[in-house]
Amino acid sequence: MPEQALSNQGGNKPFVALARPFAPEDEVALREALKRCSPSTFEAAVQYRKTGNPEHVPAVVIGVIERFVEPDLRIKLKDADDDLRLIEDLGIDSLTMMEIVILVEDVLQMTINNDELRNLRMVGDVKTFIDCKIRGLPLPKPTKFMPIEGIGSVMPIQPPFLFLNEASVSSTSANGKYKISGQEFFLQGHFKDNPVMPASIMLEALGQLAVLFLLEGAPTESGKVISPQSIFFTGCEGVRAHRICKPGDILTLSIKPKRMKMPLATFEGAIRVGQEKAVIAEEITLTFAYVDSDFRSDPRLSGMTQPAKGGEEISPSAPPLRAAINS
Amino acid sequence: MPRVFITGLGFVTSIGNDAPAVSGSLRELRHGFELYAPFQKENIPCKVVGTIKGFQTDSVDQEDWKWPARYAIKRETLRTMAPHGLFAHCSMLQAIEDARLTPADVSDPGTGLFAASGGSPMLTAYHHNRMHQQGVARCSPLGIVASIVGTLNFNLVAAFRILGSSCGFSSACASSAHAMGYAYDDIVLGRQKRMFVVGAEDGNLDAILPFAGMRTLSLQTDPAIASRPFDAGRDGFVGTGGATVLVLESEEEVARRGVTPYAELLGWGQASDGYNVAISHPEGDGSAAAMTRALAATRVAPEAVDYVNAHATSTLIGDVSEARALKRVFKDSAARPAISSTKALTGHGLSLAGAMESGFCALALREGFTPGSAHITHLDPECAGLNIPRATLPTAPNIVLKNSSGFGGANVALLFRRA
Repeated sequence: MPEQALSNQGGNKPFVALARPFAPEDEVALREALKRCSPSTFEAAVQYRKTGNPEHVPAVVIGVIERFVEPDLRIKLKDADDDLRLIEDLGIDSLTMMEIVILVEDVLQMTINNDELRNLRMVGDVKTFIDCKIRGLPLPKPTKFMPIEGIGSVMPIQPPFLFLNEASVSSTSANGKYKISGQEFFLQGHFKDNPVMPASIMLEALGQLAVLFLLEGAPTESGKVISPQSIFFTGCEGVRAHRICKPGDILTLSIKPKRMKMPLATFEGAIRVGQEKAVIAEEITLTFAYVDSDFRSDPRLSGMTQPAKGGEEISPSAPPLRAAINS
Repeated sequence: MPRVFITGLGFVTSIGNDAPAVSGSLRELRHGFELYAPFQKENIPCKVVGTIKGFQTDSVDQEDWKWPARYAIKRETLRTMAPHGLFAHCSMLQAIEDARLTPADVSDPGTGLFAASGGSPMLTAYHHNRMHQQGVARCSPLGIVASIVGTLNFNLVAAFRILGSSCGFSSACASSAHAMGYAYDDIVLGRQKRMFVVGAEDGNLDAILPFAGMRTLSLQTDPAIASRPFDAGRDGFVGTGGATVLVLESEEEVARRGVTPYAELLGWGQASDGYNVAISHPEGDGSAAAMTRALAATRVAPEAVDYVNAHATSTLIGDVSEARALKRVFKDSAARPAISSTKALTGHGLSLAGAMESGFCALALREGFTPGSAHITHLDPECAGLNIPRATLPTAPNIVLKNSSGFGGANVALLFRRA
């Protein structure tokens, strides 16, 4: 339960190592601990230990992760992309994660509980997590990974107009994937004998990811949730299409909230295919409204599923939704 | 009766880090001993070790280790290894290449791996000290799998994606001979068509020096005479480490793959002394019984045995015990078999010994030589009447017996035949 994770901050005090000045023998120990990391990692660690300035922490964390990643995969860390997945992209298993944690604990003089680690899935999660620990801030909601069934069960938008196959949602961003199957109904006419994903649909897909963020990731007031029926598109700014996307392409979508104040939430968004930029939207703005949290806990009121006779509910992953699974 | 053949070998030993080098050392009786740097201290009475050359594994941090460039090993694989795990990993790569096994042959439900080592006292001590001093939260999550007994099989089974039987054997200096015997059984029983048998030891200060507490190590400072099994002047064994891997295969697999085996493993026998936790039976009862059982199981007459690779470690009691056992089994037929202890060259490899010396027997059978027993100037009178050649003979043995004995009076005898 994310609420528990938020309230369970007993062991997450601002750290106190800086009460003691950074001594020459500490530097020797630090150099030994970081001997297989880049010099800049060591420098950042020294600066952090001397000043306590959390700005140095990301460089230390990335440097430690890099040291445990196989050399041929390290190039991926060069861009320090927060969306890099620890397991899938960097080959870090749970034991390697423990090695990373032990070194980070040692270098930054902090203690991390095992149960705090389970939700760290991406490089950005690790950076945010360490940053919160050091500043003594509450930990963010864990990144939530949602397969198509999970997305379909919460979204007001449904197939054949749902353009997300999978998504991950944190309290600060959302990422998704959509594979253009070629079976999308509109590709029959867009264009004649030349199926191209409409740019308007790609903007729609980003908007859908923003909707998912509002429903699953956005911080809300206690006792309140955002009603799926209250979310609508209001406008966008600075939309540019850079690449023609065709059947077989896998769209990697990402959105980040820029401003959020009821009734408006503004996001920046981007779609890539592999490393290539496909679409950029400087601003996508949606309207939304809060309702009491017991509203959504009752599926009959959410408008998503209808009670069937005999108490059985129609499964949200019933056949129509399967069409959206392209893999 | 199904037949079992040795089709591949890999060595990292004090007398060579591949089969050709080992074979050369056995033929020319070149030993692998050196004054071992960590032993050159006032409070350490023994000085000589059968050292592994070309490897540097003194650090408790695996990423500090050095090994020959021909072996590519990823950090992910290395980080859970003990020093002997590295030796064994390299020996596995040699044995796989030597036996011409494909990755599919290695990772097959019909391929298993039996291993024997004493674990890694060095890494156990390091991780335990760290745990006591800094608390368990500061301990490596991988310390256990790198150090406890069984680390050898855990690592190799995972690294080589072994899908068949896997197990570790722990009968001290008889361990890898037991692994050979039970691997033979697994193939004969039709459970597996191919088995890797692995023996390995760290062979460093933490692995060897505790035996000085038992007063079983040679205190000689001259590497050329420290290990001299059957010699009247012997004063204890010289420790060594390293690894040996043997590939055992069924007759069908040998035929299917069209490979030339080194030798046939005819069968084995074992028996226990039931006498003392650490001292061999004075008359060699268990050892004689193991040899007799191996001969009976394989229907080989004692007179048919051409060469015995003895367990003899160069200890006062052990060598005499085995000599008496050999006399009982082979009666007074002084002409045969030839008997030698190759530990005069390698030192005593503990859990590694049975596999390493089985590998030597396989080389002798394929290449047609009979290893001599080095460093004997005055034969112990107890050995009078036994045929112990002091130089390697160009005679090709047809049937070879390999003895191994361990703490608790565990005795194993393996029988090989020229293929």
